[in-house]
Amino acid sequence: MTATQKLAQAGAGAEETRTLTLIQAVTEAMREELARDERVVVFGEDVGARGGVFLATAGLQAEFGKTRVFDTPLSEASIVGAAVGMAVRGMRPIAEIQFADYMGPGFDQIISQAAKIRYRSGGQFTAPMVIRTPSGGGVKGGHHHSQSPESYFAHTPGLKVVMPSTPYDAKGLLKAAVRGEDPVIYFEPKRLYRAAKGEVPTGDYTVEIGKGAVRREGRDLTIIGYGGVMPDAERAAAALAAEGVEAEVIDLRSLVPWDRELVLESVSRTGRAVLVSEAPRMANFMGEVAYVIQEELFDQLLSPVVQVAGFDIPYPYVQDKIYLPGPNRIAAACVQALNY
Amino acid sequence: MIQPFTSDPLRWVSEDGQPIRELPARFTPELLRELHRQMVRAREFDKKLVTLLRQGRTTFYAQASGMEATQVGLAHSLRVGHDWVWPYYRDHTLGLAMGVSMLDIVSQCLGTNSDLCRGRQMPHHFGVADKRFVSISSSIASQVPPAAGTAMAQKYLGTDEITVCTFGDGATSEGDWHAGLNMAGASGAPCLFVCENNQWAISTHLREQTASETIHIKAKAYGMPGYYVDGNDIVAVMEVMGHVAERVRAGEGPALVECLTYRIGSHSNADADAEKHYRTREEVAEWEARDPITRVERLLEHLGAPIDPQEIRDLVAATHREVDEAVLTAEATGQPGWEIMFEDVYGDKPVHLELQEDFLRAEQGTATTGGRA
Repeated sequence: MTATQKLAQAGAGAEETRTLTLIQAVTEAMREELARDERVVVFGEDVGARGGVFLATAGLQAEFGKTRVFDTPLSEASIVGAAVGMAVRGMRPIAEIQFADYMGPGFDQIISQAAKIRYRSGGQFTAPMVIRTPSGGGVKGGHHHSQSPESYFAHTPGLKVVMPSTPYDAKGLLKAAVRGEDPVIYFEPKRLYRAAKGEVPTGDYTVEIGKGAVRREGRDLTIIGYGGVMPDAERAAAALAAEGVEAEVIDLRSLVPWDRELVLESVSRTGRAVLVSEAPRMANFMGEVAYVIQEELFDQLLSPVVQVAGFDIPYPYVQDKIYLPGPNRIAAACVQALNY
Repeated sequence: MIQPFTSDPLRWVSEDGQPIRELPARFTPELLRELHRQMVRAREFDKKLVTLLRQGRTTFYAQASGMEATQVGLAHSLRVGHDWVWPYYRDHTLGLAMGVSMLDIVSQCLGTNSDLCRGRQMPHHFGVADKRFVSISSSIASQVPPAAGTAMAQKYLGTDEITVCTFGDGATSEGDWHAGLNMAGASGAPCLFVCENNQWAISTHLREQTASETIHIKAKAYGMPGYYVDGNDIVAVMEVMGHVAERVRAGEGPALVECLTYRIGSHSNADADAEKHYRTREEVAEWEARDPITRVERLLEHLGAPIDPQEIRDLVAATHREVDEAVLTAEATGQPGWEIMFEDVYGDKPVHLELQEDFLRAEQGTATTGGRA
């Protein structure tokens, strides 16, 4: 597949589209899946009449009724656990955890039940379900409303982990997650909910879990990121372009599984990789990407892989914007790689 | 009408085998003999599996001796293969009484190719889809919220099924237990929660487990009835479970039943000498005197239909043969090869697992005889 084809795949097709925000795309995916399959239900804290704290489920209860879209007790363990039990009984639950920071009380249900039941039962029982949750910083939320816990879940076999950064992907990945056979942790970069706007087809489509997308083609180095950092990665690439440096930008879209082929193909051409994630650096998911790059492409690398990550501190409130890897920090990392 | 929230455990048959309430007509000598047969079979299964453990043919086993009336009684109160069960790790007697074959349980304990769960879990954590007996997990109380969810699905789908969720007394301290009961209560889901209160969570006694007078009164907090039953009286267990299951099935919401019983053996092979470390021989002897199997034998004597001791000896011998045959049959299927390690992680097999499988294939040199039996 050429990079141009990848761009086409990552963006809208030839059919009719209109501009949506990322959160509108999330809502639309749920609306269409609720309409498509009666086994689909949407639930969590405040998702009903209120429509969720970010209004991702706004209007869905009015449209589909309280048996399809409903509020639950304030308990992540029971929200996740109930989703497991429903899925085992043949439903397709979409559970909302109000903020990714609150997945802690539901953690055992995710790792002991959702992730394990297919394996431990020899495939006799399965839990096809989706846990949606807003994650990441940039909204002045302090450390209990800004964390990026994706690495915990990427570390747990049995879970698929995705994080879109565009409205197109948000809708297509969520639909794929609902229709798939596995438990999917679906992180929504909350600072892009309304900041990310893009073309979304009116027709039904899915985005395959496990496939990345090339956001910008380039020959000099490869910037790889996912979720909330993507617009800044593209800004950094644009700034570098003004200096005559052509950075390729890859959006992983899925962490588990992740698109090794796309990443390795790109880095083997450019010889340089800059990995961007706002999660704390220690045991960051991008460490796995860096490891695979050095394992597979050691001889072709022109510089060490550079990681741009969050700091190993609880997410701060006042220093919100300084914490995040913005375009300047990403561009500086690229320069570091180029000047090695 | 059976009342919830009694101060003493509900009982139909006294410890010396006398009916203390009118014996319901369904408890004919024939039924009692069948229940007795299943209880003895489970007791002997325990003994044989402990032997298997000592022979090093399996590595973990958690006895249920002493708890037969609770588990066999529960099995006879649900519709096998129709209602769903989210069990805990001491429920093999429940499984056996539900018709799970000894071969299935033994295969899981040995991790052979005949294991329906494909050798993935530690021994004694079986699951059988056609009995709707969900694969057991080790983490305490983590089955409780999913059980609530399965019951919510049953309500949503408009089935006439119910979900049964079992756990020990220790599980009632876990956050997941409270979350699950609260969820079921708030949603009115058809879930029957059963506490098999054997009074010891490994070495922690109920009195250190909770300051609550009993477990069943906790149901009050979740808006459901709580029933307190003598778990060593199989008539009481079946009468209460039958009543409560019908109530749950009728759409009146979830319920909690606490069966007061006792684990005669150790928690597992990890504490094989329990009396040396955390409980007294006298306490065990006191509960052995309340043996649920003996109670049925005494009841049958009282009813003028005593069981011939030879009949019991024959049953014991037959059970031992049954276990031996199950072990031989299971072992003959061999153990799964390395290939199946990478199966059933996901619905499909992602590239990174294919690569790791390739690595192991190269390391192992050649394919083994993996796969299903």
